[in-house]
Parts: sequence; structure tokens; C-alpha cells
Amino acid sequence: MSVELIGVLLLGIGYLALLFGCGTAVERGWVPASVTRHPMVYTLALGVYASAWAIYGSVELAAHAGFGYLAYYLGAAGTFLLAPVLLVPIQRITRTYQLASLADLFAFRFRSRWAGTLVTLISLVAVLPLLGIQVQTLSDAIHWLTGSPYSSSAALLFCGLIAVFAVVFGARPNHSRQDPLISILAFESLIKLFTMLCLGAVALWLVFDGPQDLQRWLEGPGLPAQQATPQLEAAQWRTLLLLFFASALMMPHLFHITFAENLSRHTLLQASWALPLFLLLMALPVPLIWWAAQSVNNEIPVAAYAVYMMSEHWWVKALAFIAGLAAASGTMIMISLALSGMVLNHIVLVARPPEARSDLYGWLLWLRRALVVGVIVSGWLFYEGVGRHHDLANLGMTSFVGMAQCLPGMLALLYWPGANRKGMVVGLIAGVAVWLWGLWLPLIFSLPTPPLPFTHLSPSDAPSWYTVTLLSLATNIVLLIVISLFTRISEGERSAAEACSVDAVIRSKRLPLEAATAADFSIHLAQAIGDEAAQREVSRALSALKLTPQERRPYALRRLRDRIQANLSGLMGPSVARDIVDRYLPYRHDDAPVTDDIHFVESRLEAYRSRLTGLARELDGLRRHHRQTLAYLPVGLCVFGDDKELLMWNQALSQLSGISGESVIGSRCDSLPAPWPDLLGNVLLATHTPLYKQAVTLHGKDYFLTLHKAELSGHDSRGGSVILVEDHTEMKWLEDELVHAARLASIGQLAAGVAHEIGNPITGISSLAQNLRYDTQDPALLETADQIQQLTQRVTKIVNSLVGFAHGGRHAGPPPDSPVALTTISEDALHLIHLARSGEDVTLTNACPDGIVVRGDAQRLTQVMVNLLSNARDACMPDGQVVITAGREAGSAWWRVSDNGQGIDPRVRDHLFEPFTTTKPAGEGTGLGLSLAYQIISEHQGRIEVASPPPHESRGTAITLWLPLYQQDDQQPHAQDSDC
Amino acid sequence: MYVYRIMLFLVFGGYLLSPLLMDGWSNPSVAWYRPFAIWGVLISLTLWLEQKRKLDER
Repeated sequence: MSVELIGVLLLGIGYLALLFGCGTAVERGWVPASVTRHPMVYTLALGVYASAWAIYGSVELAAHAGFGYLAYYLGAAGTFLLAPVLLVPIQRITRTYQLASLADLFAFRFRSRWAGTLVTLISLVAVLPLLGIQVQTLSDAIHWLTGSPYSSSAALLFCGLIAVFAVVFGARPNHSRQDPLISILAFESLIKLFTMLCLGAVALWLVFDGPQDLQRWLEGPGLPAQQATPQLEAAQWRTLLLLFFASALMMPHLFHITFAENLSRHTLLQASWALPLFLLLMALPVPLIWWAAQSVNNEIPVAAYAVYMMSEHWWVKALAFIAGLAAASGTMIMISLALSGMVLNHIVLVARPPEARSDLYGWLLWLRRALVVGVIVSGWLFYEGVGRHHDLANLGMTSFVGMAQCLPGMLALLYWPGANRKGMVVGLIAGVAVWLWGLWLPLIFSLPTPPLPFTHLSPSDAPSWYTVTLLSLATNIVLLIVISLFTRISEGERSAAEACSVDAVIRSKRLPLEAATAADFSIHLAQAIGDEAAQREVSRALSALKLTPQERRPYALRRLRDRIQANLSGLMGPSVARDIVDRYLPYRHDDAPVTDDIHFVESRLEAYRSRLTGLARELDGLRRHHRQTLAYLPVGLCVFGDDKELLMWNQALSQLSGISGESVIGSRCDSLPAPWPDLLGNVLLATHTPLYKQAVTLHGKDYFLTLHKAELSGHDSRGGSVILVEDHTEMKWLEDELVHAARLASIGQLAAGVAHEIGNPITGISSLAQNLRYDTQDPALLETADQIQQLTQRVTKIVNSLVGFAHGGRHAGPPPDSPVALTTISEDALHLIHLARSGEDVTLTNACPDGIVVRGDAQRLTQVMVNLLSNARDACMPDGQVVITAGREAGSAWWRVSDNGQGIDPRVRDHLFEPFTTTKPAGEGTGLGLSLAYQIISEHQGRIEVASPPPHESRGTAITLWLPLYQQDDQQPHAQDSDC
Repeated sequence: MYVYRIMLFLVFGGYLLSPLLMDGWSNPSVAWYRPFAIWGVLISLTLWLEQKRKLDER
């Protein structure tokens, strides 16, 4: 072994050790997560596209096709420039359904495990030449650097190290993050960029003497060589561009890094300009390197390795080697990881489905690791057996044309829901057959290009890759379209096509599941994948959806099923996952009507809102407006589907019921918390609504609810019922109070009538007593007659007060202006209040001074005072004190009722004067007294002040009435109104 | 199906006209870096559109 070989091996191993250290640092958290998860790191990781082809193959293509080499970079740049319409929709599908590879995507869209297997086999066969290129560049670079005959063995050593690296950092337990791998790929992209820019700088400033010297060389000594460089035909260039465009989308390792490594949409959109910029910087040095090598060498035996001939400096060669090793290692790691996943999910697990075993995860992990090693070894074997006999361009074009056969299927998947499995499979097989016949088999067996049909349509000197590409893609596309148009598409495919199409909003159906609770999922799933894996998968899905194992809502269970299927898809591929879920977590097919899952569709629309544009955005805005109208409607509203699944539960109903919408939406009516199943069930069954004032108890209080129902029917309707829930509790109470008040009013009218009738016999008794006085001189009889007259006067006074009070409520007309003495009114009110039997142990005192006369209506003011005294007495404890006082102040009179009772309840203080405000038990108070007092005092142009407790008192209430004083130039003060 | 008409027009237009990029290789009157300059303009345009999208989504 030569010293040079040892040096190169040490250089390569040292570089890989550096990568290993980088991965370990990220894994152990020595590098901050803010760095490793930065969008730019993900974007740089996408630089894995720049494989060894970008370092060596591009120089070879530049030598053979001039600026045609740019197709490799511009094709991929075009793919990412179209990220919003091409990559983001694919990312949406792959993230939603946990699809990690192109085979997963095809198997999901075309509802066929064989579609996934077919794509996997094509990927394997097509990617082998690309894998061979990576090994070949390593081997050739070592040979160019050392001249050693052991370069192939050295390449095998590097392949082994790369395989170990891929196993350690790539094939990891399924649920662990891939930060180390992404960071390593980003680091490698930086190394590639740095070394290529350094090599470009060497070419420009070390080999040439700057840009002007280069231009002079191009116009002078270099011109013949450049003019001798064959140029690609325009059609060939476009075909090449299309191939590289497809390869950036289809190559397994690029699909994996773009869609399976958890890149966010934002990162992907950032990559739409950042990756083309990276590729631009990578492409820039390529012609410089080629021209520099041409300027110092008359003849370059292998154009691909011109970089080793442009300078004799060892460090320039070392830079070129490191660039190649970085590119090859990154590509090999990602290809091996992507292909191992595809082979595992679409060949191994399809041939041998997983059993209910305790170590399912470990089994899958070791299987994958073995496949990773197998893929890398097969790359080395391909190089040894085939690759070393071909140039890089030949190998690369074979690979790119092969993977491009999936492009028609991919575009149909996104943009043509009418494409079906038969069309895709037949088109793909026909295209691949042309490719195998025209490129792959001649490559393997080193044969000349065999005859192909329609080749006379293209120029005779056209390269075989060009002819094969056109013929294979044309066959593929025509068969895909024709067969899809003339054959039926299955229901499953149709729904998958809807899910995959660019403008799709997934419309899942509301089907009931056999499993009744989330906990049942583990039991059912354990039959397929074992207890441990089943529990882990269910827990993981529950955790992601923030649900509990007790969850029973059909909506939540459907989401749980979807999540488990998506997670299993990431583990075993969509075909196996779908089989397991369909078999062990089946839907129940009963006679219940099947409709769209509107709540799910709405949640999807919410998630996609920022991506809507134009008319769709306007319509979405309208939808949100209508939804908010219902959500914030100040009346309780709920919506049920035809299957009695709750679709909407608005805010007012949440407040009324104390149940949040999130916790019940998606439930069946009969699984709602009591008393709603009975209440809403009755409405749903009722043929005529509304159901008035249904008595229910909610959170310990009695409520009366009126329920209205409308059936949602019509041409575009999805069916169901909308129910309005009105809280009529207060109205019911008001109605009861009104009935009570009306009863009291009737009694009052009756009492007034009785008082009036009593008046006549009392007058008769008084007259007879008067006559008795005239008819006798007996002192005893005279005293008796006096007493009878005094008593009848007292009865008359009481009756007059009663009648006056009864008439006091009916007032209409100008403001009252009679003189009213407050002390007299107070006395009348006390008379009336004493008639009541309650509160006899409360002392009522009239402390009004004489001479305070206000302008007003005596009867109505009496009514006010009676109400105030009644309230004050009721508020007092036994032996309580109620005092009436009055005085003058600033041209007005104040008239106050003070008590030492319990004071006013703070809950009613703010609406004390509103009708029906009372704290007394039902039937004992009407709640109208203070309202009436307020109204009467307002009519007297006065005001009421309430202090509870009064100033300087610890308890009690003082209600002060302010009334205008009577001007002395009018009538005499009120003494005794006699209206009876 | 979404049809981004302007984008489709630009993509296909660019695709059909892209062979013009190759002209400079053997023509000394054309600066060798011209394809890269055009490419750079395209990247700048995409960057501008991306910034605009970010603002729209805020």
C-alpha cells in the first residue's frame, strides 16, 4: 500500500470521523436546537441533490455539451421554483397520510399494494446506476490521486463506513427525531459548496490570472477548443431539462429528504429560492474548472476528473477529493435509507405481513438496517460488475430516464383525478419496458443500442438517452390517458384521488366504528401487531390528537383511526397499514345514513385558510362569517346530522349548559351529558315544535327551555336538524309574578269595594250616634255616643286611606301640585301598614316635624311611603326600628325611611328600581313596590337616594325621597283627602 | 383543478426558450457568466414572491 493511498484513506476516514462527531454532537444536544432545526439547515440538507455527478459528472457534461451541463442544476431549480404548485401539494398529502416514499404515494393514490411494489422495483433498478456513480467516483478519485490498483477496495472500505454511518444516524427507532441526519447532510452541503467555490477560485485566480485573463483565454487560445465542443440540440436540451426536473422530484433519496424528513411548508417555500441559489453557486465553478484544466493540459483523458489536472497543488486535489466524498457519502446514505424503507414496506412486508409479536419495532429496525447495508453493497457490486466499464454520463442518464417513468403517474396523481390504477400500471410498465430495452439492458451487457420503433422520427445522430426518453415517456403517457379514459375507476381510488388532487379538501364520511371507545382500539389492534406495539401506537395517536382513552365520540374515534393508519403507514407503508386498519378497526356498516364529516371538512378548511386565494378565499371568508354568526348567536343553537351526530354547539348553548363545544362536537345525541339526550332527543323525534318551557335542572338550578327545530333539507343539503334552545326561565318567573301581582290587584280592588260598602253603614252608625247625643242627657250614654263617633271616625279614616291607596296607582295627567304635609302622609301610611298582621314586633316611628309641605298627590305619596315602610319592616329583625324623618334643604324637602335591618342584597342593588326585582320568596313580594315608588317620585319631579348601609351605620338602609317644596302662595296644606 | 395560468405560461415559455442559455459557450462576444446572471435574476424574483407571500399570510 502506497504512502499516497494511506494519505487518501486517512483523509477520507478523517472526514467521515468529522461527520460522525458532527452527528454525535447534534444527537447529544451539544448543538442548540435553534441551529439544528433552523429552516436553513433543512434547505442545505436538500443540497444532497448535488451528488458526485455535480462534482465530476457535470464537468464531463460541460466538456461534451457546453452549457448543457446546466440542465442538471436548472432542472432541479425548476422543481423547487415550482414548490407552491408542485411540492407543497405533495407535502400536504405525504404529511397527512405519513407517506415516506414515492412508492407509498403511488400505493396510496392508486389503492394498490402492487403499484407500490412496482414503483419500488423500478426505483431499485433505476437508482443502481446512480449509486454506482457514487462508488465509481470514489474509486476513480482515489486512483487519480494515488495511482493505486487498490482503489476499488478502498472504495469498498468507504462504502462500509458510509453504511455504518447510515445505520447509526439514519436507520433509527421509528419515532426518534432525525435531527442528526439532517444536520449532517446540511454540513456536507456546506462542505461541497465551500470546496467547489474554492476550486472555482483556484481555477479563476490561480490557474488563470483573474476574470479578464479567463476572458482573454476564451477569446484567444481557448476559442478553438470551445468551438469544438458539441452543442446540444434545443430539443435534447429540453429533454435533459425535463429529466433533471423529474429526477429532483422522483429520485428516492430526494423524495425522502423533501417529504419524509418533516420539513415544514415554510421551509419548503424558503427552499424554492434558497436551493436554486445553492445550485447556482455549485454550478458556477464547473466551467471554470474545465477551462482551467484545458488551459494547462493539451489533452484530458477523462473529462469528469479534469479537476485533478488543473493544478499540481496537493491541497487542490485534496479539496476535489473531499468534495467528491461529501457528495457521494450524502447521496449514498440517503439513497440507502430511502430504498431500504421502500423495499421493507412494499416488498418485504407485502410478502410477509407483520405478525403480532412483542418486538415488532426492533424487528422492523433490524430489517431496515440490513436493507441499508444491502443497498450500499449492491451499489458497490453494480460498480464492480457494470459501472467501471461506463462513463458517468452514460450511467447517470440511464438512471435519470428510468426514474422519469414515474413522472406521468405523479402528475396524474396531483392534477388528474380521472387517472386510474390500470392506466398508471400499464403506462408505467410500457415506459419502463422501453427504458429497460433501450438503455438499461445495453448498459448491463455493454451492448449497442437496440432498434426501437419510431426512432426514424428523431435525428439519426441523436443520443440513445434522448430517443429512449421520448419514446418511453410518450408510450407511458398515451397508455395512461387512454386506459384511464376507457376503464372504470374504483370507489377507493376515487376517494384517494380526491384526497391527492391539488384543490382537494378531504371529505371523509361519517361512518360509525366497531370499536366503541379509544381503549378498544388497543385490544383490536393487538391482534395484528401485538400488545406492546398496539398500546404504543394508540397512545401515540391519542397524544397527538389530545384525546383520552375514555373517548367515545364517533368523530374523535374516526380521527383516531385515521391517525393510527397514518402512523402505521410511516412504520410499514400505506398498503400494510390500510390492510391492518381495515381489518382490525373496521367501520360498522349499518342502515344509518352516510354523510360528509362536516366538522372535519371545516377543520381542514381552517388549516388551509392561509393558502386560499381569489374566489376561494372570498368564499371561505363568507363561510367564516356565517359560521361566526351561528357561533355567536345569542340564542343556544346545535346542529345534528341525520345519524344524530352533533355537528355544532354554539357559545350561547355552551354558556347555558356549561358544556364546551369542543368536548361534545362529534358525539351522538344519546351520549351527551344529562339532561341533554332526553331533551334534544325529544325535539329530534317531535313532529311539531316548538316544545315550550321544558323544565330541566342544569348545574343545580331549575331552567325552563323552549326548543325549536328545523329540518335541513333541500337539493344541496347534507341533511340533519338545527335546534334552537331559548332560555325562558326568567320569562316563566315573570309570568308567575305577573299572575301573583294580578291576584293582589284583584284583592286590592275587592278591598276598595268592600271599604266603599263599609262606608255607608259606618256613616249610618255615626249619624245614629249623633242622634243618640241629641236624644239623651244621660252622661253615660253621651260618653258612649262620643266613643261610637270616635270609633266610626277612625274606621272612616282607615277606609278612606284604603280607598285612596287603591286609587293611587291609576294616575295619568299633569304633575300633581296639591300641598301635601309630610307628617300627615307619614301618619296615614303608618295607619295602613299597621293593618298588616306581619311585622307587629317592629317599631315604626313617625319623626317628621310639622310644617314640611311638598307639592304632590297625597294618595300617591302615601302609596310610596307604604311601600317603603313595608320593605323596611320586612328587612328588620324582631324588635327592629323603622323611623320616618323629614327636613328641608336647598329649596327641596327630604323625606327619609331608615331601618336597622339586614340591608339590601348587593346582587339587586344595581337594578333595585326595575320591575319584579325582589329578594323575597316567591309569592310574598311582587317586586313592583320600588319600581312604582320610583315612577311616582319621578312624576313628582323628585328623586330617590338609597344608602345601604347608611353613612356612619354598620347595617340597615336609608331611602331618601327628595321632593319639591310647596310654595305658600297657593292652597291650604292637605289635611285629609276624601275621595271615598 | 387549479390552473395557474400565468405560472403555466411562464413555466412553458421559459422551458421553450431555455435553449438560449446555451448559446454563450462558444461565442466570445457573449460573457461566459450570462446564464448565471439570468439564473440569479430568476432567483431574485422567486425570493421577492416568497417575501410577498409571507406578508400576505400574516
